[in-house]
Amino acid sequence: MTDWTCRQVILDLLIEYEDGTMAGLDRSDFERHIDMCPPCVRFLTTYRATGKTLKLLKPEEIPSDLARSVLAFVQSRAGRKA
Amino acid sequence: MKPDGVAAQAEPSDLDLVRGIKSGDEDAFEQMVERYHARVYSLSYGVLRNAEDAEEATQDTFLTLYRKIGTFDETKKFFSWFYRVALNQAYSRARRRKPGTAVAIDDFLPKFASDGHLASPELPDWSASVEDEVIARELAARAGEFIADLPPAYRDVIWMYDVEEMATSDIADTLEISIPALKSRLHRARLYVRQRLADISRGPAQAEAR
Repeated sequence: MTDWTCRQVILDLLIEYEDGTMAGLDRSDFERHIDMCPPCVRFLTTYRATGKTLKLLKPEEIPSDLARSVLAFVQSRAGRKA
Repeated sequence: MKPDGVAAQAEPSDLDLVRGIKSGDEDAFEQMVERYHARVYSLSYGVLRNAEDAEEATQDTFLTLYRKIGTFDETKKFFSWFYRVALNQAYSRARRRKPGTAVAIDDFLPKFASDGHLASPELPDWSASVEDEVIARELAARAGEFIADLPPAYRDVIWMYDVEEMATSDIADTLEISIPALKSRLHRARLYVRQRLADISRGPAQAEAR
């Protein structure tokens, strides 16, 4: 059993906890720290909220004629046949 | 649904199309455009944050593909090579537009006391606000601006992983970095974006005090 500090939890361990690659025993220690540390709970929930927010960043629309404009551009610059 | 009279055919692989383009098959090039134009646009948009620039970068990327396909090593993954082409096009355009403005990421990482505790626990917990779609989209737009200020090494990783949701191994291949390096950059980039979102959620006074 390891008593980790907030620094270790946040800087060194959080990403492996979140992506599921952390070993089982380490997960237990991580969760024990989180259970006892309200600031780290807030940090974890806002870290997750950040990830959720980023998923909204993908462009909502791809221009409908993009493929055609790409082909026309390449044709004009590279002398493609049609 | 297939048109009548057309037999079901397996989709050509990327490598099939690459070989077609190398041999001058115009149809293979068109299929490649059809297959990748949306992903290249999305990647370009991530760097440039502007629809017109992203469209022009996409056009340049496919022109480069057309001209340079002969240099592609067929033992490698095509899309990793092609994504690098796309990123280079987007960055070259971004540099022309707004040179040298990357933020110092360390200024926005969490601070700790000497005993390892978080130095300034933040209040309130703003995470619940992203359940509101309007607020979440506003925060996403700001997050996009914050990501645009990152050094490219961080910006690429967070955009590919968290926005494009690409597989870890594909990102590592594309950027030619190890998985541990990828994870380290991703985590630091997320910590940076989280901090900047926390700052705006707390209000301008606290953000400016940083």
